[in-house]
Parts: sequence; structure tokens; C-alpha cells
Amino acid sequence: MINLTLYRREMKNSLKLLLIFAAIMTMYVSIIISMYDPELMKTLDSFYEIMPELMAAVGMSAGTTSLLGFMISYLYGFILLVFPMVFCILRGNGLIAKYVDRGSMVALVAAPVKRRTIASTQMWVLLSGVLLLLVYITGLELVICRSSFPGELDTLALLKLNVGLLCLHVFIGGICFLSSCCFSDTKYSMAFGAGIPALMYVIQMLANAGEQAEALKYATFFTLFNPTGIVDGETAAIVGAAVLLVGGIAMLAAGILVFSRKDLHI
Amino acid sequence: MSTIAIHNLTRDYGHGKGIFQISFQVEEGEVFGFLGPNGAGKTTTIRHLMGFLRPKSGQCSINELDCWRDREQIQKSLGYIPGEISFFDDMTGTEYLQFAANYRKLGPNSRQKELLERFELDPKGKIKKMSKGMKQKIGIVSAFMHDSQILILDEPTSGLDPLMQNRFIELIHEEKQRGKTILLSSHMFEEVERTCDRIGIIREGRLAAVDSVDTLRERHLHQYTVTLDTPEQAAAFARDFGGISEGLRVQVAARQSLEAIFLNYYGGDEHD
Repeated sequence: MINLTLYRREMKNSLKLLLIFAAIMTMYVSIIISMYDPELMKTLDSFYEIMPELMAAVGMSAGTTSLLGFMISYLYGFILLVFPMVFCILRGNGLIAKYVDRGSMVALVAAPVKRRTIASTQMWVLLSGVLLLLVYITGLELVICRSSFPGELDTLALLKLNVGLLCLHVFIGGICFLSSCCFSDTKYSMAFGAGIPALMYVIQMLANAGEQAEALKYATFFTLFNPTGIVDGETAAIVGAAVLLVGGIAMLAAGILVFSRKDLHI
Repeated sequence: MSTIAIHNLTRDYGHGKGIFQISFQVEEGEVFGFLGPNGAGKTTTIRHLMGFLRPKSGQCSINELDCWRDREQIQKSLGYIPGEISFFDDMTGTEYLQFAANYRKLGPNSRQKELLERFELDPKGKIKKMSKGMKQKIGIVSAFMHDSQILILDEPTSGLDPLMQNRFIELIHEEKQRGKTILLSSHMFEEVERTCDRIGIIREGRLAAVDSVDTLRERHLHQYTVTLDTPEQAAAFARDFGGISEGLRVQVAARQSLEAIFLNYYGGDEHD
């Protein structure tokens, strides 16, 4: 149950941000895919030999052979994690907490519209934004791969991989949305909504980088997203993605519930 | 049955802040003035009526519907001007009013145009760039445009110039004629005196008095007898001060302004 007038307004607000992110993605994804070249791969592998920790920290590993493996190494370790995450953080905070903080939430609650409807609408705005971003990325990857390296890409595997990526970002969006619903102060909403995902990502980088720190991988939800495992069809990886999706949905639902019941000092 | 009923409403914010044991009723078709200084608890009370806050203890209801549980139902017949106007800054006034109408699913027959003309408001500019008074006018238009039966107005004339304040008071009079139930909070005595049937005075979170405007005035009517030197002087004095002369003696009555009455409640004993 959503309010279409509010949905339209908020999607218009998301649009500018989506266009900026799409432009950044287009640049990165096209440059990186175009770098796929067995000759160049050797160069990158030599980078890895020189500074394995740094390369591993940003999710890049050596010895990837297929085009998709190459993309997993160089896109799914940093760029496709961090940029949609920043989108979730900005929009998540902007959809609820910012309005409560500034008092403009009055305009939404002083009308015969259920709080549950308001929060659901904002949730769908967030999810629609993430979905649009990932659909765009998928399309972009398909177009670039097919035009530059025809026949090299396992399309079905890419789709599976991006569904997994969507599960991860639903989870991140859940964190941002829940924190936006819980706190009436942008300061705290941002501290948790941005702080938790960012901290988790840093832990993930540490866990990737050093052997001593490897145990840290159990302390971050990013571990549940295992791109190589999803492409290979490993059960553990699929269960991980499912856990992310379910957890994300649970947090989104909790956010709606919290917003419906909380006191609004506006 | 009272249209608005508040019973023992309490919300303690600690340090003596909050509202305590607030009870009053507003009858159908009545204009009720809610008078108090800044920070007395007017807005907190109104937030409970609007369903923004859940009562910690006590109840409040509108049309016998619970203000927290049935808030969407209540909002159908309610117009509201918030004490602190904050709209979506990115919109123009026109866009906002259109948004508000669509959001409420109003038809094209809303009173928007009439109200814009009444308050001489051109809403085309960005809300962010608008003056306090213009934002207030937008707030007034969006509260009245759906022509609801109950109006809750939290300091509705703040930021308006005297001319527009008068227009607003005219609007309240008209709405009263049309049978609306109105709760109007203010820290301006004149505004309340000119518009309301009854007044509740709130001070430090507690209701100090609820009475009709006339009773409040009566209670503070002071009679004096003045003796002057000559009958001529007495006659002149009676003329100037609206008294009754009787030889050298003149009887005058001083009606305390509502402001003085209010200071009485607010300032404590020093005025008595």
C-alpha cells in the first residue's frame, strides 16, 4: 500500500542522484571491462605479486581467467559494493529521518494517510532506486561485454551474480532505512545508517588483506556475499545471499513498524 | 458530545517540562483559544491531538475517536497549521500546494484559489526563498483548502503583517459562521479575544483557567469612585473616562485587558 503522489515526488528526488551514480558506474564499468586482456592480466597479476595485501583489500585477486572472473575481481570487490551502498545511505537517511529532523514530516502525517503507508512508500522509493541502479549496471555490463568481447560472457551467471548483489544491497538498504526510521535526528540516523555499513566494509577489507585478520570475516555481513560462489552455484553462497535478502526485508519491515509507533516531535 | 475532548493528558519531559493533567473540551461549532507563553505546553498538547505523540497517561479524542489509534480517520476532517512551518524546501509554493492536494486525494474543487486571493499570495517562488509570512500563508492555505470541519491552528498568525492578521481573523469568523470547530493556540491576547468563545490558559504545562472570554473579562472588572473638586470637573472626568458622575463623585470601571488577566495567571501573585 503506497501513496502514488508521494512516490512520484520521491522518485523525482532520487532521479538526480541515480543519474550521477549511473554516470560514475558507466565510466568505471566500461573502463574496467575494456581492460580485460589476457596480456594486461599478467600486468595486474604482477601488481598482485608486488602488493598482494593492498590488491586483496579492495577485493582483487590474481589468477582470474574468464571475463566474468575478471569482473568479479575488479568490479564486485569495491565499485559495485560501495557506490550503491552510498546511494542507500543518502536516500535512506533522506526519506524519513531528514523530514522528521526538519519538521517537514508534518506535511505527510497531518493528512488522512496511514504512517504505515508513508513508510512503505518511502521504502519502495529506496528499493526502486537500488533496483534501477542494479538493472542499469546489468544492462551496461551486458552491452559492454557483448560489444567488446562477443561470446566471452556467461550471461546467465552474470544475472545470478547480480541477483546476489541485489540481495546484498537490499540488506544495506534495510540498515539505512531502519536507522532512518528509528532516529528523529539526522545526526544519529547517519551515524548508524552510514556508520554500520562503512565499518562492515572496512572490516571486510581488513579480513581480505591479512591472514591474521582473516577471522574478522565472521564479523561482517559482506562475507555473506560471495560472488565466485554464486557464479559456481555453491549452496553456501546461495544461502548467504538468501540470508541477506531475508535480513534486509526484516529490517525494512521493522523500520515501517518503528515509524508507525514512534512519537514524532514535529 | 464534545468535538475535542482532552482528559487528564500528561507527558512529563522531566525537569518540570511537559504537560500535566490537562483536561478541557471544545464543543461543536465553538472557537476555543489556547493561550499561553512560549514553552507552556500548547504545542505538546496539540501534537497529542494530531496523533504525533502517544499519550503517556490520560486520553484525548476528536469526534469520539482516539487521537493516537484512529489518527488517519480523524485527519479526514481536520485542517492543521503547525506551529513551526517547514515544507519541502525544494518545491515551489505552487508545486507544494498541488502536492498537498494530490496527496490528500482532493478533487479540483478545493478552496485553494479563493484562499490564495484572500491572502494575496503568489506561490510561484521556491519555498526556500520565501519570507516567514509567505510560508505562513502557504500553511494557512493548505490547512483550509480541504474545507474540513475541525481546525487545529497552532499560532496561525505568526509572521503575518497586521493587515493579513485581520484577514485571518475575518476568515476565522466566517468559518465559525459555517459551523467549524476551531482550536486556536496563541500567545497574542488580542487575537484570541477577537476570535474565541472560550479560552483556556496554560502555564508551565498546567491549565490555569478555562472560561468564556466574557467571564474572564467580568472577573477582572474593577470599580473605582473618584471625588473631584468641582461638579464641572467631575462631569468632564466622567466624559473622558466613561464614568457616571454624581455631584463631586464619579464612578469609573476599568476593564483589565485580557493581557493583564493573562499576566495575572502567568506572573503569579505580584499583580493581585
